[in-house]
Amino acid sequence: MRRRPNYLAGVGVTLWLFVVGLPLYVMLGAGVQSRPDYNAGGPLGFPDHFTLDNYVDSFSNGFGRYFVNTLIVTASVVAIVVLLVPPLAFTIVRNRGRTTSGVFRLFLLGLAIPAQAVIVPMFYVISEAGLYDNLIGVILPTAAFCMPVCVLILTGTMRDITNDLFEAMAIDGADTRRVFFQLVVPLSKSGLSTVVVFAALQAWNGFLFPLVLTQSEESKVITLGLYNFQTQHGVEIPGLLAAVVLSTVPVLLVYLFARRALVQGLMGVGGK
Amino acid sequence: MKTRARFRRAVAGGAALVLSLGLAACGSGGSSSGDSDEFHVLVYGDATNRVEERIVATFNKTSEVKAVLDTVPGADYQQKLQTVINTPQAPDVFFNWGGGSISPFVEADLLLPLDDMIKNEPGLKSNFLPSVFETAQVDGKTYGVPMRGTQPVLLFHNKKVLADAGVEPPRTWDDLLAAVKTLKAEGVTPIALGGGDRWTTMMWFEYLYDRVAGPELFKSALAGDKEVWESADSRKALDMLKELIDAGAFGTNYDSVKFTDGGSPALLSSGKAAFELMGSWAYSTQQDADPDFAKNDLGYGAFPSVEGGKGDAANLVGNTNNFYSVRKSTEHADAIAEFLQLMYSDEFVESQLAIGNLPTTTNTAKFLDAADNPEYLKYQYDLVDKAPAFQLSWDQAYPPKNMTPIYVAVQQFFNGQLDADGFIKAMQALTTA
Amino acid sequence: MVSLTAPVAKDGHRPARTSGPAGPAARRRTGRPGIGWALPAVVFFALFAVVPLVLVAVLSFTTWSGLGSPEFAGFDNWVTLFHDPVMIKSLWLSVLLTVLGVVVQTPLSILLGVWAAGPQRNRAVLSAVFFVPLLLSATAVSVLWRALLDPNFGVPSQAAWLFGDGNLLGSRTGAISVLVLVSAWQFTPLHALIYQGATRAIPAVLYQAAEIDGAGRVRQFFHITLPQLRNSIITSVILMVVGGLTTFDTVLILTQGGPGTDTTISAYYMYQKAFKGFEFGAGAAIALLLVLVATAVSLVVVRVSGYDRMAGTKEGM
Repeated sequence: MRRRPNYLAGVGVTLWLFVVGLPLYVMLGAGVQSRPDYNAGGPLGFPDHFTLDNYVDSFSNGFGRYFVNTLIVTASVVAIVVLLVPPLAFTIVRNRGRTTSGVFRLFLLGLAIPAQAVIVPMFYVISEAGLYDNLIGVILPTAAFCMPVCVLILTGTMRDITNDLFEAMAIDGADTRRVFFQLVVPLSKSGLSTVVVFAALQAWNGFLFPLVLTQSEESKVITLGLYNFQTQHGVEIPGLLAAVVLSTVPVLLVYLFARRALVQGLMGVGGK
Repeated sequence: MKTRARFRRAVAGGAALVLSLGLAACGSGGSSSGDSDEFHVLVYGDATNRVEERIVATFNKTSEVKAVLDTVPGADYQQKLQTVINTPQAPDVFFNWGGGSISPFVEADLLLPLDDMIKNEPGLKSNFLPSVFETAQVDGKTYGVPMRGTQPVLLFHNKKVLADAGVEPPRTWDDLLAAVKTLKAEGVTPIALGGGDRWTTMMWFEYLYDRVAGPELFKSALAGDKEVWESADSRKALDMLKELIDAGAFGTNYDSVKFTDGGSPALLSSGKAAFELMGSWAYSTQQDADPDFAKNDLGYGAFPSVEGGKGDAANLVGNTNNFYSVRKSTEHADAIAEFLQLMYSDEFVESQLAIGNLPTTTNTAKFLDAADNPEYLKYQYDLVDKAPAFQLSWDQAYPPKNMTPIYVAVQQFFNGQLDADGFIKAMQALTTA
Repeated sequence: MVSLTAPVAKDGHRPARTSGPAGPAARRRTGRPGIGWALPAVVFFALFAVVPLVLVAVLSFTTWSGLGSPEFAGFDNWVTLFHDPVMIKSLWLSVLLTVLGVVVQTPLSILLGVWAAGPQRNRAVLSAVFFVPLLLSATAVSVLWRALLDPNFGVPSQAAWLFGDGNLLGSRTGAISVLVLVSAWQFTPLHALIYQGATRAIPAVLYQAAEIDGAGRVRQFFHITLPQLRNSIITSVILMVVGGLTTFDTVLILTQGGPGTDTTISAYYMYQKAFKGFEFGAGAAIALLLVLVATAVSLVVVRVSGYDRMAGTKEGM
């Protein structure tokens, strides 16, 4: 049935577009201006003299290294999660023993632990283990803290595998390993991709663990790089905002090419 | 206690075990320790790092053991130092403010007394002005060698703005009040203040308390006498400050501005503000951000005198000096001794002078004329030389856990959330020693 | 967090779906993993999440400055905390920011979500734009807004009619408003997404019936859409509450808890005590308090709303 257009909604949405769009406009616009141009035109000014100098400067100011570090952290966190969580979820779904449900509850409890809460002892544990100011010291807790959500996502997916399929495998004489690799893993692909995206986002955007657990240039990740840039050169707005854009590029790319998995992963992020 | 210690060790051991299982083999990292042929030097990260870089490079040219320079941006320095000092990643040599800033480390037996080093190489002591050297002595032992320079807090101004408004740099408090009035009428923010940093705000208290009550008040307070905060002098200092704030000297949005991120220096250099009270490092900050301004229009002077006040108008506040201290567990004490000897080399003194820092070595005086900015340096040298008292910043003088409470109190007094009574109470609540 | 938890958690206690001849023994043979499969993950999680949590509890009864070893201090930290006006204020501020967050974001995200659920093409395109803030890290968002709001070099310098002197971060109301606005800017898309999914799941029959009854758009919204979104509202509010109580990056970068202590929320106060004042014991006590409050709030919301008795639908995904 035909309905008349909803003008009120139109006005509201336009307003919201303004609220969302304006900061993004300033972010993109300021990043391609020189500092004198920016100061002359103000944040809302249109970039007349397009330049990529700010982006180039970001790299010469160490952002290249931060990028690599963040990639290492992200890849490692994803690897740990992908190695550890699927067998765990498999156990939770298929082994109905009391221990297993205890394990499941342990991870549910983990959902209620904000990272801030454990940062003091985490600092203690990491420095006692000699991992302070080492990317490994960031990777380990980051991975641990995205596990609960990953477990929930994957157990959800694995529960949807019907029992018939398991029984068919059993009739074929498959052992647990084969069941896992030939049935469970292939059928959990959607859940796994969500888990990968979620873990990657947690690692890429992580701030608190690197803030407290690292110190030197060599082990700086991109969020810390942004924070330090801000504390030291906060009024060099063009350079700062170029760095902000750079920090987001990989996520934007994923958004463009794998929107669905990203959205699912982000829903998981909201959960943390 | 013992059980818990064992428990903790077990936890840490477990963590290490996980690592050795190779779980994290995929992560490489910027481990900053472990190489036996180098030692790490941690310094406060700011515009003056280029001198430290240069000195380290000079050292590495001839030394087998290499020095590696690490920096931590200013705002986080103290925090990172305290968190790292007790870990295997602790630096071998680190920047500090001497006195109160290292005494907890001395108590925890983390620092190397340098007296043996000095016995071998007396120059490590004799080349520095004695009064400064004493700042890094705790219980009769020496724990630091001066590096960088002395950093008195000065009242900087924009010459052009003052000239346009027909204002002279103030010599007395009344001059300052009058200047504020004139500048305000001209539509200029009289005084730039990066209140977001809060220690910037604190400097105003440090100077006014000194001028009104003399340096003794704060010394007593630090020694545990909380009564002094209630004294008539204390109240007078607060009243005067209140008068300045209420006169609109700082504008209204100073708490949204910071010095550290370049905000308030830009206000001064762009002529939006006329004065800024800041440590002598503001000179190199301006040199970095706006060289033309630093060269042509950046003026400076001492904090105004207060009529009838007990403090000498020549008294200073700020950082008496910065020091390098050495961690006890270092494996490279000999190389570090060599490194520390560079802190009075001609190259060191010259390059410090070039960026506006004033080293407190005995050979400093002979380089003053040759420096790029002899006027600024001689001015400071004179000030420091003649100052009857030089008060270390309050936040450095008190034990670290008081830092935030002090910052909160000064900020709240400025924005009116605390009156004089409230401020006095807040200062009395600080823990001493 | 709980958007996923509740339904799945329910699943976890659901009686076995399987039925048929195979007894427990037979089942174990049909590819049932032993507990060993879970062991690496459990050990890892225990080491880096559970053990630190236990240590938090232990540390909260000690004094430790980061140098030397922690010393047992009994209930000292706790007693001090409950007499510390800044602590009490920080709890109120946490609650205030959380409530403001819910009040601002909920109507916004419901409206946006319901709007975005429409089939029109232009809505899909705009939704994609609205989504962008969610892609930025909290750090990036805070840094961006700090730059935007700089009184001398940001937007306020160009729009004095709106911002006055631009003292946004230097005044109590300003700083709190900025924190609420920035988190709304970033997180409204997330919640809108929840509502969008839920709105699409509402059976069209309900609307058709209402049209026949002659109900207008507004009435349909209040009588059909809103009631049908009940579960999603609960999910979304729990998310906001937990998120609000643990806000940290934004406060650190935008306000450092200031002016004064006006935005020193508990999570930030914990950080400040521990890593600025080196009172790790006191910091641990605040941390433990935060865990307890966050858990309790989630439980209460779930219990009060009857969420735990709901069917395990995937609503909201």
